[in-house]
Amino acid sequence: MSLSGRDAYRDELTRIAADDTSVICLEADLGGKGHPFEAAHPDRFFNLGIAEGAMVDMATGLAAAGYKPFISTFAPFAALRAAESLKLTLGYLAAGVTVVAPYAGVSGAWFGTTHHCLEDLAVLRSIPGVTIAAPYGEAEMRAVVREAARSGKPHYIRTGRNAAYDSLDPYGDADVPPPVTWEFRSGSGSGHDSDAVCLVSVGEEGTRLALEARRASPDTSHAHLVYLDHEHLAASAAELARHHRRFVVVEEHRGQGGAAEALALLMPGCEVTSVAAGQNWPAQGGDHEEVMAALGLDLPAVLAAVSRARGGYRPAQAAA
Amino acid sequence: MTVLLDTPPTVVETDGDAEDALFATLSERAVQARRLIVDMAASTRGCHLGGSLSVLDILIAALHRASAGDGTEVVLSKGHAAAGLYAALHVSGVLPENPAPLYGLAGHPYTGHPGPKVPGVRFPTGSLGHGVPYAAGWALARRIGGQDGLGIAVAGDGELQEGLVWETCQVAAAQQLGNFVLVVDRNGGQNDGYVEDISPLHRLPERFAAFGFEVAETDGHDLRALTAILSADRSAARRPLAVIADTVKGKGVAAVQGKAGSHYVSIDATRAAKWKRAIR
Repeated sequence: MSLSGRDAYRDELTRIAADDTSVICLEADLGGKGHPFEAAHPDRFFNLGIAEGAMVDMATGLAAAGYKPFISTFAPFAALRAAESLKLTLGYLAAGVTVVAPYAGVSGAWFGTTHHCLEDLAVLRSIPGVTIAAPYGEAEMRAVVREAARSGKPHYIRTGRNAAYDSLDPYGDADVPPPVTWEFRSGSGSGHDSDAVCLVSVGEEGTRLALEARRASPDTSHAHLVYLDHEHLAASAAELARHHRRFVVVEEHRGQGGAAEALALLMPGCEVTSVAAGQNWPAQGGDHEEVMAALGLDLPAVLAAVSRARGGYRPAQAAA
Repeated sequence: MTVLLDTPPTVVETDGDAEDALFATLSERAVQARRLIVDMAASTRGCHLGGSLSVLDILIAALHRASAGDGTEVVLSKGHAAAGLYAALHVSGVLPENPAPLYGLAGHPYTGHPGPKVPGVRFPTGSLGHGVPYAAGWALARRIGGQDGLGIAVAGDGELQEGLVWETCQVAAAQQLGNFVLVVDRNGGQNDGYVEDISPLHRLPERFAAFGFEVAETDGHDLRALTAILSADRSAARRPLAVIADTVKGKGVAAVQGKAGSHYVSIDATRAAKWKRAIR
């Protein structure tokens, strides 16, 4: 049985820290009780309390002294409350600090708008030099955390609340997730030999929806993206455009500043449709899927987008 | 000097002549640095003159403490006093080149707020409040590694209006960071006027004490007192230290000393030469 993203993070970091004594774990009172890192490495675990800005900046001081701080708090508090600290730490200083942000998107569900974060990718993507990851499932989270620790580069890793998924690919200990993971790809050769619509999934729920959509529409390709910063998206776009022209990007984020918007700019000869949260503020209760549906993020919305993409493609060169 | 320390500060025992020589050296550094700051006020950009002059003696003393080589890190959190920091780093021997002729110019790192491209500067400051947790994080790193050395943050009294400062004080006390020192350059001024008129800091020493800090109050232009406090052995301390240093905005330049209007100053070369000659 798979672990949730945040549980997989905690467990993997605890394992890494057994061999790497420079790894420090910082929490801001939302790490849950019984953190395995605290049990295994109490001298390197710090619950700093409800002080997100101080936590990020103190991690900067720790990194300057040669440590690898991993810090975690809910996505709205990391990406928005501490945004200025992230800009300076992860961006300007390129400090080797990793921010792990659960409760991304609307996984906070009935906790309400204060606990939702549909803006984090836009904020972090606009800060140069930050590696941004939204892993799907336990194995992918473990691989991303290992890579963050190994590289020593600034990372922002978003995850959901408690949902547990099986990753598309089991990564070996040393493997770095590729920019594009093909769950299914129509066509056989290189070039635009497939007219199939390609679903592009981002994050846990985007990937869940894309997998469901492909089961309902089996001739649809599905490419899953792990890394969402500009450099990785540029590589992903090159790979995607080699095989397809029509894309439906599914992401639990606002359209503005999300992956679809970036891919549309990176693939000017292709048609990119976005299935994302719009301009609404979900202000009612419900579970995660119900809140997503209120935002227009559900299977019917994805299938409708696939249908529109299938019928509406106009090659740029033909128009010219 | 008012001291509310667990252990009173001690000055390293030296013979009187050596001690006099040290403070003569530090005083001379301060004079030279003040002249450099005036040079930067006479640049095409001007500079935050008043706060640079008020914090200068604190920086001279703190950099002297760091020169012990035990891993002490000094962070100027009130980054708008960059001119003061550049000058202090230069006269203390940390920054080899004279920053004054290059201040604010394209192709050189001496911007209006300091960043890590300047030798001797690790952290970008100027967005107020951040230097305090940077230094606290540094202190935590030294403690985790079982190493000596302090994390010294130098903040302005106006800067204490930032919530991040108090957030960090809460954390530093909870983590028992005895090797974290927050020096407050209490010059009484801020951008738009006097701290007292905009957002006064009531009962500041008691406030730090309530957070769990040791507290020392001193004349922020008394290099002997500052050096004594910052040189104290804090290896066994369990409470962070707040040093409230009373200073004068524009200290050392009679034309601006004590005036709120000294916050940001741009002058011509003739006036700069006159001011520099008068600095003693």
